[in-house]
Amino acid sequence: MSAPVLSLRGVSKNFGGVRALVDVDVDVREHEVLAVVGDNGAGKSTLAGVIAGAFRPDGGEVLLDGAPVVLDSPAAARTHGIAAVFQQLALVDDLDVVENVFLGQETLRGPFLDEIAMEREAWGLLDQLAATVPSVRQPVRTLSGGQRQVVAVARALLGAPRVLVLDEPTAALGVRQTAEVLNLIEKLRERGHAVVLISHQAGDLQAVADRIVVLRLGRVHGEFSGDTSYEDLLAAMTGAVRPARPGGPARAASGPEPRERRAGGTGAVHR
Amino acid sequence: MSAVQQRGSLTQIELAGVTGLSPATVSNIVKELTGAGVLHTSPSTRSGRRALQVTLARNLGLVAGVHFGSRSMRVALADASMRVLADQRMPLAPDHRADTGLQRAALLVAEMVASVDAAPDELLAVGVGVPAPVDVRAGSIATVGMMRGWDGVVVPEVLEAELGAPVTVDNDANLGALAETRFGAAVGHDAVAYLRVSHGVGGGLVLGGRVVHGRAGVAGEIGHVTIDENGPVCRCGNRGCLEMYVGAGVLLSMLSESRGHLTLRDVIARAQEGDPGCRRVLFDAGQHLGVAAANLCNLVDPEIVVVGGQLAEAGEALLGPLRTALEQRTVPSTAGPVQVVASELGSAAEVRGALAVALDLARVSGSLGVSA
Repeated sequence: MSAPVLSLRGVSKNFGGVRALVDVDVDVREHEVLAVVGDNGAGKSTLAGVIAGAFRPDGGEVLLDGAPVVLDSPAAARTHGIAAVFQQLALVDDLDVVENVFLGQETLRGPFLDEIAMEREAWGLLDQLAATVPSVRQPVRTLSGGQRQVVAVARALLGAPRVLVLDEPTAALGVRQTAEVLNLIEKLRERGHAVVLISHQAGDLQAVADRIVVLRLGRVHGEFSGDTSYEDLLAAMTGAVRPARPGGPARAASGPEPRERRAGGTGAVHR
Repeated sequence: MSAVQQRGSLTQIELAGVTGLSPATVSNIVKELTGAGVLHTSPSTRSGRRALQVTLARNLGLVAGVHFGSRSMRVALADASMRVLADQRMPLAPDHRADTGLQRAALLVAEMVASVDAAPDELLAVGVGVPAPVDVRAGSIATVGMMRGWDGVVVPEVLEAELGAPVTVDNDANLGALAETRFGAAVGHDAVAYLRVSHGVGGGLVLGGRVVHGRAGVAGEIGHVTIDENGPVCRCGNRGCLEMYVGAGVLLSMLSESRGHLTLRDVIARAQEGDPGCRRVLFDAGQHLGVAAANLCNLVDPEIVVVGGQLAEAGEALLGPLRTALEQRTVPSTAGPVQVVASELGSAAEVRGALAVALDLARVSGSLGVSA
């Protein structure tokens, strides 16, 4: 079992009087899909923001390879190998696929853009994702929802990040596009990325997740293995089952035991 | 070509109007493309005059194949000549439910029909494969507890209402067996045994070109052959079934202690990289499969054993020990040991089988205009 790439220890975040995250511990490992699920307002997107450097936590620490780091901006997170794709994909509709992928980080050749190198690399990234984008010179306006997601992920993959955060990648997509995105997530995992997948659609999460963390009202309400039954997840999400102690594992009466979690611990998790 | 594709169907005169070519030129082009099998023409009338209706050849109709696996679903569309027009895979949650699963399948089929520019009524029939024994006549899952949330579901009833086309259901391994016999590794062989080793373990038998279903669809369920009388209790309720030794859940849990959470694909990839633990797990799985397959071979004596499912991607790491165990336990024959090969269609076998039974259904119900 590999050591975690990224760990959150006791992370809290307040927005005014709202406690969006309370004492959250999460480990992210390479070659693994960590799903974060929860009801509306459970703190999922705040967690994504903290990992991606968009929010600075009010308390607790973020450890990269066991050493504390400060992620005070998405750019800082990127230099540490953490990339994120948020719900609003932040693509420019009128630019083509290549321009979108390299927006703000264009490859230069002397004073000019190196279009050929960029196009080649864009194809390379899309091929790795086994993407079905018809042409990289098409404005992204003409692409389907799933294909736009692929372009956004390709942009995030530029610079070979180790951790990739996907916030609600299947929201507002048709079945076929959802299928494409789920295949894409499997592909990312196979390529050895650590994927943090955030969604409220438990079914989609379970299809690809290795581990599932349930957030409820800003707290970790249990950590489960990917093959946990839907009922146990739902029970944790809705608060029908309480964690044994604050921040500790939820124990369902029947059902498989959730994976180990050490409440408030700061060391590595043992297996 | 694209003019026909966009509009689906139009007469030769209309085609001339749309393309701006002279009617004579259009007539020549259509003749050439019809000869090449790209276009299809049929006589009709337009404003009282004789005209030639031009359509793409696929307008003979479409059939859809749906394969539900334990952890994924695969949907494919094909035309009447079994040319696959669209193919889509979707990962599914463990213990996925019949209602959401079937609804997603129906939506996926509808979206894919739209994506090949076809009208919904061009869908002639749908074939569905599920990883549980199926009572083919009733179209229902024939066992209890094998697929959580699917007990007693009558698949055609649900899907026919959603898609408006006749639906036929069969066990996925039976469909895989049929596909390998018709288009894959077992073409030209009679008495074909197919093992599907994936998340679960299934089997299919084809005798004289027909899939053997038995009394209520349980025929060929090699995953539930007893390996150990006192073994662990299987999801089917019996003890020590083959599936309790080679099913994905069991293989992965054997490795999770030392290697963490893996998928079946990870295990195969690691075994190919030389990971001794993963190789050992595949070796043992091959031996167990060989023992069970030997019983089958002694009863049926098939000409060929085809191994499919995701685990077959491991190749010789699995097939080698399987062959050895099989040869040790079958009656030696002057014809030599039975041929054991990996699936040729791979992960597409089951969905191809589903397309094949859908096409058969379309022929039987007469919705297909030609007899092929």
